Amino acid sequence: MTRTPTKTRPARSKEVVTFSSYCSKRARRIEAIVRSFTAICCVGVVVLVVFLLGYLFIRGVGSLSWSFIFDAPKDRMTAGGIWPAIVGTLWLIGLVSAFALPVGIATGIYLAEIAGQSRPVRMLRIAIANMAGVPSVVYGLFGYAAFSLALGFGKSLLAMGLTLSCVTLPVVITATEEALRQIPKEQRQAAMALGCTRARTLGKIVLPTALPGIITGAILGLSRAAAETAPILFTGVAFFAPVATNVTQPSMALPYHLYIMATQPTTPAPHIVWGTALVLTGMLSITNAGIATWRSYKRRKLQW
Amino acid sequence: MKTFQRKSRSKTAAVLLAVALLLASVFLVAACSADTAEDTAPAASDTDDVALSGMLTIEGSDTMVNLAQAWAEQFMDENPEVMLTIRGGGSGAGIASLINGTVDFALASRDVKEDEFAEGAAVGVDIVENTVANDGIGVIVNPAVGITDISTDDLGKIYRGEISDWSQLGGTPGSIVLLGRDTASGTYEFFLEAVVGKDNEYAQTMRNLQSNQAIVDEVRNNPAAIGYVGMGYIVDDVTVLAIDGVAATAEAVNDGSYGLARKLLMNSDGTPTGLAKAFLDWVQGAQGQSIVVDEGFVPIN
Repeated sequence: MTRTPTKTRPARSKEVVTFSSYCSKRARRIEAIVRSFTAICCVGVVVLVVFLLGYLFIRGVGSLSWSFIFDAPKDRMTAGGIWPAIVGTLWLIGLVSAFALPVGIATGIYLAEIAGQSRPVRMLRIAIANMAGVPSVVYGLFGYAAFSLALGFGKSLLAMGLTLSCVTLPVVITATEEALRQIPKEQRQAAMALGCTRARTLGKIVLPTALPGIITGAILGLSRAAAETAPILFTGVAFFAPVATNVTQPSMALPYHLYIMATQPTTPAPHIVWGTALVLTGMLSITNAGIATWRSYKRRKLQW
Repeated sequence: MKTFQRKSRSKTAAVLLAVALLLASVFLVAACSADTAEDTAPAASDTDDVALSGMLTIEGSDTMVNLAQAWAEQFMDENPEVMLTIRGGGSGAGIASLINGTVDFALASRDVKEDEFAEGAAVGVDIVENTVANDGIGVIVNPAVGITDISTDDLGKIYRGEISDWSQLGGTPGSIVLLGRDTASGTYEFFLEAVVGKDNEYAQTMRNLQSNQAIVDEVRNNPAAIGYVGMGYIVDDVTVLAIDGVAATAEAVNDGSYGLARKLLMNSDGTPTGLAKAFLDWVQGAQGQSIVVDEGFVPIN
């Protein structure tokens, strides 16, 4: 990388030409192999994703209808729709947003902007990294012991929401911290040089710039929460329940509904299984795509 | 200035860490003590109103979830103010939740065990067994196996692994594929006691499947498979074996001639009152029992 690009030719093409002209045949062969291997892997992943989504769509699209989305299950899960499960999942997303996002974002801000690099702070970071590595089924067990039993919330949306918040927290914290760290130092220095206080710099310069990254992390966390099955299995998800109207009730949820529909009912109803899978994936994909679009729009506006 | 700032920051962080640890340990203590001294009574509604309203949570046997859902659908149709929630998980899971006070009824496809009664009594939960239906366990094989009748004795030998090829019973030669339920299932325990023998164990080769439906699917697809399921799950394209010459029919379960029959229970903490009582009465009454018949189980009486 010490070579300086000439003015007549773009740097990249020059490097490639030089490389193949003075390297041995063997080195070139190795490069060809590595290139084609990585390319094949990449194509493989794309094919897999397209196949998965395509298959899901083809199998599931036939069962979509207004009544499938807005009706309750009927006749022992062989007919009707999935509305209580959709509402349950929306409740959970709402609860996780209410609990995990404020706490997670505040913790991320503290770690990135305020805490510094002292020893206890490093220990905090390690603790948070470990949180992300705990299997979700263990969170389920913890949530059952802590929220359902010790705090007496029983099997309810509240216990499920709090458990899922624990799963989501490390994702949100890490994303917030990373987003804040990516803001160039010069921006902070410029703000300070103009006489802004630390708080004002944070609120007016740093946070708005980091917002797309923070929101992305939040959405990733919420998507994970909405898709988790293990934590809610312990804490209150139901095989069958009417639409939940408050947080003390147990509720159905889409991922668990998918699981029981594929393994439990007397008379299998594959259209409900695939329809449920499509609705869950669709809900998350649409949110993710929406957020990605918004973020790239924001990014284009904020350039440095 | 700089050093001062660093120091004070690390101090704040240290305080935070300490507070976090303190909170965590308080939580731990609370969680541990809750295990031993759980005295919050289950949220059984004790309203004695005529117009039924409120919420009941029901959890347990996977054999019974579809039946319970059918009850719940119709009961909620008749009483729009009532919310019934059904969960599976297995008879053992339901009874554990009843003991923990998180459900109103525990569905069980086997009798409650002595140590479960004791565990309940230790935390002030008085488990009451309420029979809500009868069930026969059907032993099903793939039609390709070529037998239609089996003795309890031979069935025990198959499930203990002492008979491993269908030709030993006069069927199509081929090594037997043993299917059973997972250990949380009441059907697993019932079959163990009734067929395999209380002091014996299932053969190591048995595959533990998660649900009745999974067993039916596997028997349908595997030409050498044998499995056991609740009678409500039996479908046309598998062979249901007669046990000791008695076919698995509702009549045979009711008159006691079919050997592999059991009670289906909806256990409660104490004698149910209020909404719980109303629901139990309805289930045991004419409407509930006609749903039992629809679901392929055998009504009580």
